[in-house]
Amino acid sequence: MTSRRANEDQVVYTICDSHCGGSCVIRVHVRENKIVRLETDDAEEPQLRACARGRAYRQRVYAPDRLLYPLKRSGARGSGEFTRVSWDEALDTIAGEMKRVRDTYGPASILFFCSMADAHSLHHERTINRLLCQFGGYTAPWGSISTEGAIFATGVTYGTLRVSESMLEDFLNSRLIIMWGWNPAVTIQGTNTSWYLARAREGGTKIISVDPRYTDSTALFADQWIPIRPGTDAAVLIAMANVIIREDLQDQYFLDTYTVGFDKFRDYVLGLEDGVEKTPDWAQAISGIPAATITNLAREYATMKPAALMPGAAAGRSAYGEQYHRAASTLAAMTGNIGIHGGGCAAVVGGGPGAMWAEASLIKALRGTARIKSPPNPVEDGVPPRRVTLSHRSSSVSSSARVNVSLFADAILKGKSGGYPADYKFLWLSNNNYLNQLADVNKTVKAFQKLEFLLVTEQFMTATAKYADIVLPVCTYMERNDFYISLSSSFYGLVNKVIEPLGESRSQLQICTALASKLGIKDYNDKSDEEWVRSVVTTLSKERGLPDYDSLKKNGIHRQKHDEPIVAFRKEIEDPKHNPFPTPSGKIEIYSQSMAEWNDPLLPPIPKYIESWESLNDPLAEKYPLQLITTHFRRRAHSQFDNLPWLREQQSQMIMINSIDAESRGIKHGDLVRVFNDRGEMMISADVTERIMPGVVDIPQGAWYHPDEKGVDRGGCANVLTKNVTSPAGAFTSNTSLVQVEKVKS
Amino acid sequence: MQLGFYFDQTRCTGCFTCVVACKDWHDVPAGPSSWIRVFPLERGKYPDLFVAFLRTSCYHCLKPACVSACPASAITKRKQDGIVIVDREQCLGKDSCRSCLESCPYDAPQFGDGENASMEKCDFCEERLAEGQTPICVEACPMRALDVGPMEELIAKYGTARETIGFVYSEDCIPSMIFKPKGEDSKRLARQENTR
Repeated sequence: MTSRRANEDQVVYTICDSHCGGSCVIRVHVRENKIVRLETDDAEEPQLRACARGRAYRQRVYAPDRLLYPLKRSGARGSGEFTRVSWDEALDTIAGEMKRVRDTYGPASILFFCSMADAHSLHHERTINRLLCQFGGYTAPWGSISTEGAIFATGVTYGTLRVSESMLEDFLNSRLIIMWGWNPAVTIQGTNTSWYLARAREGGTKIISVDPRYTDSTALFADQWIPIRPGTDAAVLIAMANVIIREDLQDQYFLDTYTVGFDKFRDYVLGLEDGVEKTPDWAQAISGIPAATITNLAREYATMKPAALMPGAAAGRSAYGEQYHRAASTLAAMTGNIGIHGGGCAAVVGGGPGAMWAEASLIKALRGTARIKSPPNPVEDGVPPRRVTLSHRSSSVSSSARVNVSLFADAILKGKSGGYPADYKFLWLSNNNYLNQLADVNKTVKAFQKLEFLLVTEQFMTATAKYADIVLPVCTYMERNDFYISLSSSFYGLVNKVIEPLGESRSQLQICTALASKLGIKDYNDKSDEEWVRSVVTTLSKERGLPDYDSLKKNGIHRQKHDEPIVAFRKEIEDPKHNPFPTPSGKIEIYSQSMAEWNDPLLPPIPKYIESWESLNDPLAEKYPLQLITTHFRRRAHSQFDNLPWLREQQSQMIMINSIDAESRGIKHGDLVRVFNDRGEMMISADVTERIMPGVVDIPQGAWYHPDEKGVDRGGCANVLTKNVTSPAGAFTSNTSLVQVEKVKS
Repeated sequence: MQLGFYFDQTRCTGCFTCVVACKDWHDVPAGPSSWIRVFPLERGKYPDLFVAFLRTSCYHCLKPACVSACPASAITKRKQDGIVIVDREQCLGKDSCRSCLESCPYDAPQFGDGENASMEKCDFCEERLAEGQTPICVEACPMRALDVGPMEELIAKYGTARETIGFVYSEDCIPSMIFKPKGEDSKRLARQENTR
């Protein structure tokens, strides 16, 4: 075989942050402007080792389906027919349409959405935001598709969005870890999370998994699996509170010292408010978990201190998901597990401890310096905040001029007549595949058809890009310079350009700089990305004594050392007098007066169980008796990486169905099945398994939508079946759908 | 001296990072040839389940059946470290001969999908080894579930388990492999699972 000597290669350090949940060191071997192979971190432990997706990145850079030239639509929208055009022609067309739409309908009719895919600091949403604000404004999104329920609940309960879990190393101090709908073996949730969980288990920590699926994390880390019906998580957590109260196991000193409103929650739990006591029997009927199991779980959580309750964001991506997150934090407070080593505040899991090392102000400075600044968005100028929003959110995020990202198709279809602030005519989607990734694909297709112009900036001809009027080719992170601050581990560093961009692909900064000049904006940007990064690092080096540009370039990243793991809310607990929680009351708000003032029974001031739409009690369940969940998949990061052969051959896109449900439908493993509801239909192979509870099916999200001539999806895109609504506080509800599955007769 | 692998089955999450890192490092395209494979091993009925993963590759056996099976003497066992190496120039190719594959209890010999593709398999990253580095799979494993070294050192460090769930020790070949098996009844299970 041909020898490719590693020592002849130039090795470039960079950081893979592919929206998978981690951020890892990659050392890229380059020869003659060609990537030949990859290695990962070679520093002392704890190393930041990349996963299979990061290791497959060479195939992504050189994928035969990479977009390398600007394209202009030549067939009907969605036909996938395009003609290659010059950058000049593409940018002239875009600039002309932007001006026309702005001048005809006003700047609010321009919508722009960007995802976190292949985004670091510079080549990011902020870059396009600056351009659009200078241009006269646009309608921006609000809401996190991943974690809006958790963000809302954390904001209400703890008064901050910047809180997250303690550092991963702190798992080694836990006696008990409860993985609630949490599968970090697949979702990563901070590089090395799984490694620390394995070591915690080896050190004697008990780990329990509460999940509709027997996940890989369950298989690897858990001593016990408790299957739970989707959408019933809050009921079980509230019943656990009932056991803790009835058996007097709560940490009353903690509740008295640090919280407000426990008495009101207790009244609800004991049935004094509505006449229904929230007992384990009550929760058994809802969740399918035996009452005795709920009782034991409650006792263990209350007595095995320190214990970390890890509420995964999946259960929050369902109807009334914010109640689940509110209930989890309330339990953490009741058991006194907040602010201590080995405990956990049960807040935004996966926000990462980076948000906590932010408290030391370093990361704040890093992020503030690294991002491109924008003038205020004229569309949001003087516009009041939304009725339901949190006081500590910035006025721009809370602006009622914004559209919830999860509802963008609805906003385009209905506009002002549907209560939205504007009629939307021009849509710019950058590095996202929102047709695929947001609820109700068929509705989004209709929304796309209604637009006057759709601009997509992308690396690949995604399901979304097929509907674009112009597609601009964006280079990968290996073809540009950037700066990166990890949210999940304490480090920052350079995303070094490894090779020149392929074909005519360009970075976001280059695209915006060129478009700014077509739009007649003079002061958009006069620096290359390398100059930007150099100036950021030089400023930080001078002001903070951090490594200078050349040493950072050589070593790749700077790791911030800590003497012991940072613990979320430690100072608020150890010295409450000087460190009140940033809530209106200064305490952990089990009861929120702000929420009470909204007077909305679906957003109650204490956490409550509210039965979801499309639950098994919905009359619709007669037609569509199976609950669909749409989980993360190992070989993808959402819809990214779905097209890479090295990854595709490892896992097949299938629907997970329990053998009991399969048998009653005459379905055998590998059979082609039809999955459908009133919103859509797909054909997919069945994975008949014991690893999912009966009554629940799972289609991993992110597979690319691929309709056949009848409009039936053959690609396995879960969102042809999901509903395009949000939870009352704005959460994406991708895990609340009823479907039916039947065998396709051959 | 005989080099061998260590695999901690209690750590493997089945993430196939080792598989992809190996394919990238050795430039093996997607397709039938995969020097490392990772298999899920599942048993039980809902809700009482057991799931583990097995990472498998060439085990650089002390008495490799493939070496004696090869009619072209294309496979050799290195004296200095016991690594089993294939000379792909000498291999007769998959269309004329698959003796090595037929002789191997672990499906270690791999063939690409090209016409009469010659045999390829784990070479213990001999090139990295020569430069004092660990094989790419060991470097890659996010769970630190893999290690390599002289067999006596591995045994001193990790014990003597030569079998695990999904893997049966071949007394004829003597694979250079030490495990940390998952589950207390792993030996019994190993035999049960060997049907796959």
